Amino acid sequence: MPAHVPNAGLSRRDLLKRTGSLAALAAFAAACGGNTGRPSSDSGGGGGAKVNLSQWYHQYGETGTQQAATKYAKAYTDANVSVAWTPGDYASKLSSGLLSTKGPDVFESQLNIGMVKSNQVVALDDIMADVKDDFQPGDLATNTVDGKIYGIRMIVDPQVIYYRKSLLDKAGIKPPETIDDLISAAKELTTNKVKGIFVGNDGGNALGGPALWSSGGTYLTDDHKPGFTDGRAAQAFGKLHELYASKSVLLGSPTDWTDPSAINQGLVAMQWIGMWAVPGMQKALGNDLGVFAFPALDAQGKPAVYSGGWTQFVSAKSPNVDAAKKFVKWLWIDKQDFQEDWSLNYGFHIPPRKSLAAKAAKLQSGVAADTVKLTADHGHTDNPAWTPKMGSAFTDLLTNVIKKGADPAAEITKAEKTVNAELSRLFG
Amino acid sequence: MAVAERTTGTPQPIGFNRGAMGRVGLVLRWIALFIAVVLFLLPFYLILRNALSAEADITAPSWTLFPSHLQWSNIGELFKDTQVPMARALYNSAVVGILGTAGQLLLASMAGYGLARIPYRHADKIFYAIVATLMIPGAVTFIPSFIVVSSLGWVSSLRGLIIPTLFSGFAAFLFRQYFLGFPRELEEAARVDGAGYFGVFWRIVVPNSLPFFAALAAITFIGTWNSFLWPLVIGQDSSSWTVQVAMSTFVTAQTINIHELFMAVAVSILPLILIFAFLQRYLIQGVTQSGIKD
Amino acid sequence: MSASVKTPWATDPATAGERRGARRRKGIAGNTLWFWVFVGPFVVGLLVFSYLPIIWSLVLSFFEAYNTATPSKFVGLQNYIDMLTDHNFLSSLGTFTIFAVFIVPLTFVLSLALALLVNQVKIARSFFRSVFFLPTACSYVVASLIWRLSIFNGVRFGLANTVLDWFGIDGIAWLSTVDPPWYWLPIVTVRLWLQLGFYMILFIAGLQRISPTLYEAAYVDGAKPGWQVFRYITLPQLRATSVAVLILNLIAAYQAFDEFYNLIGNVNYARPPLVYLYGISLGSIQDLGHGSAGALILAVIIMIVTLLQSRIFGFGKAGD
Repeated sequence: MPAHVPNAGLSRRDLLKRTGSLAALAAFAAACGGNTGRPSSDSGGGGGAKVNLSQWYHQYGETGTQQAATKYAKAYTDANVSVAWTPGDYASKLSSGLLSTKGPDVFESQLNIGMVKSNQVVALDDIMADVKDDFQPGDLATNTVDGKIYGIRMIVDPQVIYYRKSLLDKAGIKPPETIDDLISAAKELTTNKVKGIFVGNDGGNALGGPALWSSGGTYLTDDHKPGFTDGRAAQAFGKLHELYASKSVLLGSPTDWTDPSAINQGLVAMQWIGMWAVPGMQKALGNDLGVFAFPALDAQGKPAVYSGGWTQFVSAKSPNVDAAKKFVKWLWIDKQDFQEDWSLNYGFHIPPRKSLAAKAAKLQSGVAADTVKLTADHGHTDNPAWTPKMGSAFTDLLTNVIKKGADPAAEITKAEKTVNAELSRLFG
Repeated sequence: MAVAERTTGTPQPIGFNRGAMGRVGLVLRWIALFIAVVLFLLPFYLILRNALSAEADITAPSWTLFPSHLQWSNIGELFKDTQVPMARALYNSAVVGILGTAGQLLLASMAGYGLARIPYRHADKIFYAIVATLMIPGAVTFIPSFIVVSSLGWVSSLRGLIIPTLFSGFAAFLFRQYFLGFPRELEEAARVDGAGYFGVFWRIVVPNSLPFFAALAAITFIGTWNSFLWPLVIGQDSSSWTVQVAMSTFVTAQTINIHELFMAVAVSILPLILIFAFLQRYLIQGVTQSGIKD
Repeated sequence: MSASVKTPWATDPATAGERRGARRRKGIAGNTLWFWVFVGPFVVGLLVFSYLPIIWSLVLSFFEAYNTATPSKFVGLQNYIDMLTDHNFLSSLGTFTIFAVFIVPLTFVLSLALALLVNQVKIARSFFRSVFFLPTACSYVVASLIWRLSIFNGVRFGLANTVLDWFGIDGIAWLSTVDPPWYWLPIVTVRLWLQLGFYMILFIAGLQRISPTLYEAAYVDGAKPGWQVFRYITLPQLRATSVAVLILNLIAAYQAFDEFYNLIGNVNYARPPLVYLYGISLGSIQDLGHGSAGALILAVIIMIVTLLQSRIFGFGKAGD
């Protein structure tokens, strides 16, 4: 055996023989079993033993949320539910958690078809059967794949543009009705101490969907084709670049657009943010707060509101799927008082249950009521067939158009390629 | 390979007179040195200033050189903050650092000694197999390593944080080179008295190599304390975060309390500053050893 | 314990005792056993945590693996082809190249300069050495936080923007501005601050190793102190150190992750290969087939570059 060749085959076999191929085999065996079946640490058995469930949340910005979540978990007596509260990049943590054997039993997220196809989530039709009609059709559709419901909507988060009424009045500007109006409003409101609008440290990627909708397009059509490829979409994306290039957007803020600090601290006159921040903004700004939807592209288009939110799922890899299903039914279907508490007492969210939303007093006046109406008129929910890979390609499109001023049509073609590849992988 | 420290820099000829140009050069060099010192110490000043400020001091429109009231309460605020498990993270970092360093040195030194001193016909091949792993950049294997570790069920555990990092081909390589140069007479003397490999190793070789061990220990501990990618990948549950992961998630959190975060930074570098203060000599030796393989 | 490989000396343990005199070293019975006692645990660990992951990753890279770590559909070389034609992956390699072009020469020149400066100081030399080496106590996470939140943040209370304000210049959103690409300034300076001390120490050690007689001989021959001596004596004598510095620096730069992740996150214009691979495999995309392929491609590139570099510069020292 030539000695200068590293990893010469014979020596590796030798090593395997001597140093415990058992270790390697064991690892492989554990691996092959661990991703499709259930880990052997089944806590079932003797009657009366309470199962342990772990419930994962992302870190909500509003104070009191973690305590509330823990309170709900403690109030459930049929199992020991522990709450994991994850700041930072929740999506990544969740992904690697679902890959490993120590992931959550119950978790919140948004549905995408990949989760269904790789058996990461459990169908919840049985527990949803009785209350299906009490949910908005959009919220049901966003959690349904192939006719089966996989998640229970916990809260609805409309995302719109809030603004300082006093600043717009002082400049004599009315709430903009087209994107061009928005751009000129932002320009006029920009002084050397205040920027016109905050749309995110990345320059406005969060506006990509709304801009698309405002042009009449959509992410994916009903027959699973890309819906963002026509000239009007390109126009809309180009307008986002115009907004960025006009230097009237705030950049480099220590917190991103999901936090209202920028508008509260007087760094901007308008901010793209969700209704969750309204109590905090009202505390800082009082009545000096107004709202409008993302404006239409032009007379042909329509304003757009992104109706996002969070959904509760049961992990298919959980060793206690039935117990987990019982828990989510108890919390998110039966316990309407907790649901109401969660939606309204820590930031404002629209309760997904129509019955609860109807009697939500806090959402019936002021800016919150305006937001609810805008959502009802112009809201768009997510399409579960839109996978994260498509989303990443779309984000690249937006970054290149907005920040680098690339040609929207060319970027759309690039993104279309990736989206089509994903579509053929999923739907053939 | 000890070299006596010289007292001056590049030797000059005897009777060298700098002349006017030379003097200007000297002044320029001192200015450059001064500027460099200021730039290098600037971040530490920022840590101290921000850690002891109130949020308003930091976000104020004009720069406050130092807060008028030192907010020592920030320390309490940091440890009481339930969103950032700072105490637990410090504990995790300490355990991982100490056990990881001890484990790495133990395994690598024994492996290095075995490769250097125990005759075995496949020793060379095994040595090359170890060196080959140095060629595979460590960080590139984090994806498959995560898969292996997660199959073992070690995600979010101290085991998962420590054990995969114990096998440092680099340390084994350094130890082997070092032991090759260890004076045989000491070992032979012990052999004559009847000691076996184990005895020679533990009673003669190790005690006489303490400076080398100290140097590697210092470097390894710092590297482990500061490591980020692997603890990020493994630490999914907040109870298994190290101090670096905790700080990093703190930054991307929805709301940032800058003063709290900087206090966390100050607390996290304190142990390493202490190591620096007391073990600097070994640290420098360790760096020199790892850079120049003689 | 097969003895299928013939070696010039007999290594059959049974006859070890008789052969004791024939070997230069004093043999002890059961060498093989002792070898494995010492080296065994390390090798086992290396197998499980280095070789096994590499093999698994290799296998996975030939399959489709979405949202799962077990191979599902065999796709042959498709993942590799996809990655090599993926403009995001290629642009991440480009990002890395730009990064290396900045960081490697800058680190080399500046750390050598610091070493020369510190070496020539007569008073308080260890003070200066400590100051430049102190940043080693900070991690990339810590330094990125300071850079991102306090020095180079885009709002008015960042240090860089405050300084600009003193000169009447508008604040810059350092990490968000693509045109001109200001984000390189924080990214490069953060690594410089953290690294220069380390490489400075290497250079100081190298400088101290140069024998004074070389200089004396040169002066006798009429060489002028200063630049001449530096170019013809100092630099060549530092060859071994320089090579070490360059190789270590380049390998470290290839694996840049911590500062990019914490300073700028996952953006498509300043994304080195590792951040991209992390994003597609352990992020929400969960595409482990392509991630594994990409990781292996990266590993091969690094190995090739390292081999090339050592061939061009030579290792310059004995006994590697």
